[in-house]
Formats: sequence, C-alpha cells, structure tokens
Amino acid sequence: MALLSIDDLEVEFETRRATIHAVNRISFSLDSGETLGIVGESGCGKSVSSLAVLGILPANARVAGRVEFAGDDLLALPDSKMRAVRGRDISMIFQDPMTSLNPVLTVGRQITETLRKHLRMDAAQADEEAARLLERVGIADARNRLRDYPHQFSGGMRQRVMIAMAISCRPKVLIADEPTTALDVTLQAQILEVLRALVAEERMGLILITHDLGVVAGLCERTIVMYAGRIVESGPTRELFARPRHPYTLGLLKSVPRVDARAKERLVPIPGTPRDLRSLEAGCAFAPRCPYATERSRAETPQLRPIDDLEHRVACWNPVPDGDLPPSRPPAPVEEER
Amino acid sequence: MTGEANQLVRVEDLKVYFPLRSGLMFDRHVGDVKAVDGVTFGVRRGETLGLVGESGCGKTTVGRSILRLIEPTAGKVEFDGVDLGSLSKAELRTMRRRMQMVFQDPYSSLNPRQNVGAIVAEPFKIHGIASGRELEARVQDLLDVVGLPRGAGNRYPHEFSGGQRQRIGLARVLALNPDLIVADEPVSALDVSIQAQIINLLEDLQREFDLTYIFIAHDLAVVRHISDRIAVMYLGAIAEIAPVGKLYADPLHPYTKALLSAVPIPDPEVERSRERIILWGDLPSPAAPPPGCRFHTRCPYRQETRCDTEVPPLRVLDIGHSAACHWAEDIKAGRIEPRMPAVP
Amino acid sequence: MSVAQAEARELELEDQSGLWRDAFDRLRRNPGAIAGTVIIAGFAAIALLAPALAPHGPNEQVGGLAAVPPGPSTDFPLGLDQQGRDVLSRIIFGARLSLLVGVVSAGVGLSLGLVLGSLAGYFGRWIDSIIMRVMDLMLAVPQFLLALAIVTALGPGLIQIMFAVGVANVPQFARLLRGGILAQRESDYVLAARSLGAPGRRLLLAHILPNSVAPVIVQGTLAMATAIIDVAGLSFLGLGPADPGLTEWGKMVAENAGRLESAPHLVLFPGFAIVISVLGLNLVGDGLREALDPKLKN
Repeated sequence: MALLSIDDLEVEFETRRATIHAVNRISFSLDSGETLGIVGESGCGKSVSSLAVLGILPANARVAGRVEFAGDDLLALPDSKMRAVRGRDISMIFQDPMTSLNPVLTVGRQITETLRKHLRMDAAQADEEAARLLERVGIADARNRLRDYPHQFSGGMRQRVMIAMAISCRPKVLIADEPTTALDVTLQAQILEVLRALVAEERMGLILITHDLGVVAGLCERTIVMYAGRIVESGPTRELFARPRHPYTLGLLKSVPRVDARAKERLVPIPGTPRDLRSLEAGCAFAPRCPYATERSRAETPQLRPIDDLEHRVACWNPVPDGDLPPSRPPAPVEEER
Repeated sequence: MTGEANQLVRVEDLKVYFPLRSGLMFDRHVGDVKAVDGVTFGVRRGETLGLVGESGCGKTTVGRSILRLIEPTAGKVEFDGVDLGSLSKAELRTMRRRMQMVFQDPYSSLNPRQNVGAIVAEPFKIHGIASGRELEARVQDLLDVVGLPRGAGNRYPHEFSGGQRQRIGLARVLALNPDLIVADEPVSALDVSIQAQIINLLEDLQREFDLTYIFIAHDLAVVRHISDRIAVMYLGAIAEIAPVGKLYADPLHPYTKALLSAVPIPDPEVERSRERIILWGDLPSPAAPPPGCRFHTRCPYRQETRCDTEVPPLRVLDIGHSAACHWAEDIKAGRIEPRMPAVP
Repeated sequence: MSVAQAEARELELEDQSGLWRDAFDRLRRNPGAIAGTVIIAGFAAIALLAPALAPHGPNEQVGGLAAVPPGPSTDFPLGLDQQGRDVLSRIIFGARLSLLVGVVSAGVGLSLGLVLGSLAGYFGRWIDSIIMRVMDLMLAVPQFLLALAIVTALGPGLIQIMFAVGVANVPQFARLLRGGILAQRESDYVLAARSLGAPGRRLLLAHILPNSVAPVIVQGTLAMATAIIDVAGLSFLGLGPADPGLTEWGKMVAENAGRLESAPHLVLFPGFAIVISVLGLNLVGDGLREALDPKLKN
C-alpha cells in the first residue's frame, strides 16, 4: 500500500485576465523509504502539486482530485485537521532558506514551537530534542546555537536548520522543493548527503522537486518528468535516463550541460519556449517544440501508458525510437590542449 | 609566456577591497572586504576564458573591474596593451566601445521604461554612430542576429521571457562591435532548455564576430561547453587555471577536485559510482579570510605545515596549467590521502 | 522550426502593452479613481469656463447690502453674501484661484524637491548629507506651521502663501525621489548603460529618473490636495491675499466664519467646494498609487 497516493490532481488559478491551468490531472504515488524525484522546468506545475498536497495554495486556487494519505483524502479534510498533518506527518522544505525562516525568532524557538505543538513536549524536552536535531543535521555546538537568530547562520546552515525543523516530528513524508537550488554546489553536495542519510535512517518517503537532472540521478529511485502541468514520463530513474522515451525527456538530457562531457561539446537545445498555461487545448502540450510530432499529437492529448517495462510510463503518441536513444557514455578521454 | 603579444586582456595582481565602515555619526574605516586579493591572468584574442567559483569568490568583481565599472584598489588591467588605469574619463569612454558586459539577471538588466528598439539603439546614440533610418536598420539587423522575432523592437522588456531578454542584452552589446565580452553568469537565471539555446548563440556569435569572451559562472558543467581555458577562483584568488580538458581530467588543486566531485551528473550509473570529496564547513567571510592558504580550513588534503602560515603562489605545474597549492605534486602522486568530515 | 520562428508565434499571441498603458488600464478599472478624475476634470472645466458659466461676476453686486444676507433662492441658487454678491458665481470664479494655488504650490514643492532629491541621490556623500539634514530639519516642523513661519517672514499676500506652502512641501518630494534614485542607481540596467559608455547626465535623465518618478507623481496629486487646504488655512488666518477683489475659497470661509449661525450658506458652500476638490485629488492620487505599484506588475 502506498504511503501517499495522488489521483487526478488538478489545480487552476483564477486571475483577472485568465484562468491558469497549473496542474492537469496528474496521478502518482510514494512508498515509505522511497525517494521520488519530480523534474521539470519553471511553470511545469511541480511545486504547485506539492503545495496542493499540503493544502497551502493561495486563495485563488481551485483544486480537484484526490490525495490519499493514511486513509484520508487530504483535499477533503477541513483545515483544522490538515494543520495536524502539516509539519507532523507531512513536512516541507523550501527553496530559499533566507526567507523561509522567521527572522525575529531564535532558531531554537522555531524548532521547539513545532515540537511542543505537535508532540506536546514540555519546554525542557523540546530544547533537548531541538539540540539533538541540530546535531543530526550537522550543526556544530548545537546547544548554544539554539539561541541564535537565522541571520547569524550562513545560507547552508540555514537550510540545515530548515531540514531540522521539517524532520523534528518524524514525518512520514518529506517534500523538498528545490532545496539546494539557491546554494553553492559544494554546499549542495553536503545538504543532499544530509537528506540521503536522514531518509535512510528514518525510512521517510521523500519527494524531491527540482529542475536539476543531476540531482535526481544521484538521489532518486523513481522519477517523474512534468511538462505544462502534466506528467509526460515516469519510471525507475535508471530506466528513464537510459531509455528516455518522451521527446521532452530526451531533449532535456541532450541540452543539459555535463561536467563529464567532451570539452566544448555542442549542446542540442529544445527549440521554442515553455508552454503558456493559460490555454488548455487538446493535444500534446509539447507538440509545438517536438521533432517527432504528428497530426495526432496536435489533436489528441496522449495518456500515460507503459513502455519498455510496466514501471516505465510515457504519455506520447510517438515515443523516441531505439535508434535515437542516447548511447551509454564512454568515459571522456584525456584531452589534448587546444 | 608565449603569445603575450596576442593577449587582449592582461590582469596583474588585481586587488579590489571594499571598505567596511561603522560608527554612530561618522563612518570610520574598520576593515575591508577583500573581494579580489591579488589575481593575475591573461586572455588571448579569440579565446573563451571561463571564470568559475562559488559565491564570494570575487569572480563578478573581477569581471566588473576589468571593464572599469568598479575601480580597483590596486593592480593593473591592460586592454590591448593599454593600461586602463592611465586613461582619462573621455578616453575610457571611447575604450568602452571595445569591451562590453552581459548581465546575469535578465529581469533587471533592461530598463523597464524603454522599448526594445530604444534599448538596442542606445549604444549607437551614446557614441553618435548612427541615427535615423540607418539606425533603425542596424537595430533590426542586430535583433535578427540574436534570433528575436520581427516587431520585437516595439515591445517592452516585461513582455519577453528570460531567454529572450538575454538575447536583447546581447543585441545591445553587439551594437558597438566590441572585441571583448564579459558574460557574467548569462545563463544562470534561465531554464535548462533555454540555457542551451543561449550558450549555442554565444558560440555562434563568437565565430561570426571574432569575439573574445570572459565567461563568469558558478556552474562547472556550463563552462565546460564553452571555454577554452578555465580559472577557478576561491575567496578572492585564483586556485587553479588550466586548459579545459586538463582541468576536468586532471585537477591539481584540492578545491577544484572537490568542486568537480560536487557537481551532479545527469546519469544515474555515473552518479552512484563516483568518488565524492565532501568539504568541511562553510565558506569563510571575505572580510576575514583565513591566514596562509585561504582554503586550508576546508581542505581534505590539509597538512600540518605551510598550509596555515604561507600563502601558496599560483605556480606552473604543467604546460598552461597552474595551481596555488603547496602540496599539489604530492597529492597528484597519491602520497597524500583526503580525509572526509565525520558529518557532512 | 527555428527558435526565432517559434518565439515569433509566441509573441503574436500576446497583445501589446506598454508600462504606462498597463497602468492606465488599471486606473480605468478603479471606480474611485474614475470618480476622482471626474471631479477634478469638472472643477478644472469650471475654472476655465468661469466667465461663461457663472451667471454673474464675482464682485458684481446683484443685491443690496444686507446684515443678514439671503440664503439660497430660485434666482440665486447659493444665496448672496453681505455685499450682495452671488455666492454661486464667487465659488465658480474662486475655483480658478484655489485650484491654481494647489497646482502652483505643489509644483513649486515638486520641482525644488526633484532637484534637491536628484542631487542628493545621485551625487551622494557630503552633498547628500547636507541636503538631507536640511530636509530633516524642515520635516521636524509640521508642514502648516512651516508655511506659516515662511509667510510671516515674507509678509501676507497670495504669491507669498503659494511660495510658502510650496517650500513647505519640498522635503517630502526630496526624500521620495532620493529614495527612488538610490534604489535605481545600483540596478543592473544602470550599470549596463554605464558600461556602454553613457555619461552621468544620460544615466540620470534617461534611466534613473524615469524609473524613480512614479511615487513622486502620486505624491504630487496628494500634495495638491493639502496645498489647497493649507492655503485656505493661511487665508483663514488672515495672511492671504490682501486685495478684496480676489476671490478664493479659503478667503471666503475666513471672512464669513463669524456668520456661521446667521448665514451658514456663506461658509458651508465654499467649504464644500474645498472638501470636494480635495476628495477628488485624493481619489486620483490613491488610484495612481495602485496603478503604478511595481509589485502588481510582473
């Protein structure tokens, strides 16, 4: 039985000018101890989906569908019950550590607040636990640092504090929305290590939302690729990267710069720009940019169907043929000087 | 060094310090943020030098100092043999036509109150190069060259996407036919699929207009695709400088090694079998850099002697390949093993 | 399809909009702003067309002298004053001076404030310090009292009070513009213009000022409103135009304040005129503030 199950989730935003169709009927699930990656560019709906799960979308959002967790449909729960779920059973970490922490409260206070509210600890217990949590995420001198304010921590440290807060109540599901995008790459490596260790120890389900294919490759067992509010491909990460059947996934892989590429290797960009979410036409959203598009692509919206193996699904009328799949990469040879 | 006559840009011992002031009524000078602390390198005509590093390393400050948008505290910048510090304001303004900058943030680098045509026409107007119908024609040519659609000239920046705005910025700098373009993180703020478009565009423009690039980035993967040589900076100084192939295949400085191993690779097989070098702790503040080797507080290869007392000079270790590390040869030969932190 | 072609299609789907046009659209949808504009336009029209609109001259005696002047009647909708002059006509003609005063005072404040604010914001350092300390000193005194002090020094008269109210307005504009300039000065697009070789003058006039000016415009309309009230107040205190022939709402209220019980129409109607015009200006000012708010722009 899946830990978290999303069915036909739909999210629209009403604005004065138009309705924005941010998420168009997506379905996926998460098991305990599993790390699921949701990959896509800006505007694809990956962040909005997770905000919908937690019920923290802005007032002009219209949500439909079902989010099954511990026997309840989260979308149908009244806010009073949702508040018990947020932070305790399902937790979230956000992209920007600068603005996600309250600048006028000490870090200790922000962590203990959650502990006291959800787990009903008293002040002494909460302090003890807060110090332990800070140590767990790698902050030295934890006891004393509880008294510090967010601005006294560096960016990487702040992100660790956020993680500590998020796992304080031992949630079953942790959603990390671009947790390392704002950080330098060496800090990113540290934070991902912290997440990896935590998930393994606590058997948490982790949903990692990112635009970075490299992060997903390193951390996630399963991956979902989103485009224009829909899931276009999903499956075991290894499968997806070895056999990217959706032209968008293939396009992403070919256009992403790689540190292990041949020197000055030419990138192959995806032409055009991401789709405008104001229109909800039939047909594949990616068709205008797709080299494999046919009349059918433009007319009928493709549904997710298994390909290659049951776990690997793709929403495409013309999946990438074998001949066009990327070859497995040989290690880059030692270069001569130019 | 061979080909010095061929160097378009020569930077010697560049230092840029930002004073720290504090006080109730009158600001006293209490210290300096040493954003750039002694940087020396050259850029050959026609090549692309990648300038790479994390936040606070000083790469943006170096770029802006070369263009004299920031006054250096010490050191020399030579452009085509001319010492920029020796020029008068008027001479500098004329020289500016030959060296231009592309900015990171496509949302703030265009004046929101000017339409695209006016933005691209501005360089022509400032230097009195063209006007009237000829100006219109040249502006339209530039918009075509960067791949913007017809009619873009009448629209305002906020109507365009990030990638398109970067193209507008490029059209603007090309107007003056510069020799050098300093690109300060030109693709960092863009979506992945658009990044590739802009990188390719930069390469095409380089060929077509005979440009020399200094490409500033924090992303080692991006610079790999566009640079001929790469300089890695840490906390205001160059840690390593090498031709692109050598840097990735055979990094000599511990920081470069750590940086390379930290960059995620979009390939699960490779990711899971990589050797990772995780650094200790956080970046020190540029206002208080560590004594001796700047990197020693985080270095997995740190030794008992020399690292915390002597500043390592940038020395030549191979053809075209220099690194600032006392123990580089020993590390390469495997005589020193890295120590990983207990907690990441 | 080439990148340019794909993007050309994208652009065609959007409709054109300039920054000012967007602001104008927002303004159009704001009922308060529309009401305010109608009011102001109405008063402006009245002021311009006064000779044609007013049934009588402002100083024309259409009735006799009376200790208790008659109130509204069918012949004289707003009544007569103690000198037998038609109140309606006086209010119509009074619009000219009162609105002029508002515009001129705010104008004086805005222009001086703009200059000082630009100098302080652009040059910085000691010029900035000196100018801003002077502005701080001026702001320490309530605006009306400051105007009062200046008029006392200059002597009474219409020009004097316009100038005094204008000068008292300067600090708010100087501050506002300086803040805007400081914020814009460090932006990338200004740096870009510098790197293109733009001289300082061009940076300020073509780049920094146009992007700093929005809040100043909003403040300008609001300052006109307070200027009208301040001038009315100074007139009320007897510091206004000495010439009895000049018709100005504040003066009308001042002269007749003692008759509030016996002949309220002499005080109330010019009072309403002041209140309604100030309301109109405030509505327009608020509407402009909302329309030009950069946070609403994307």
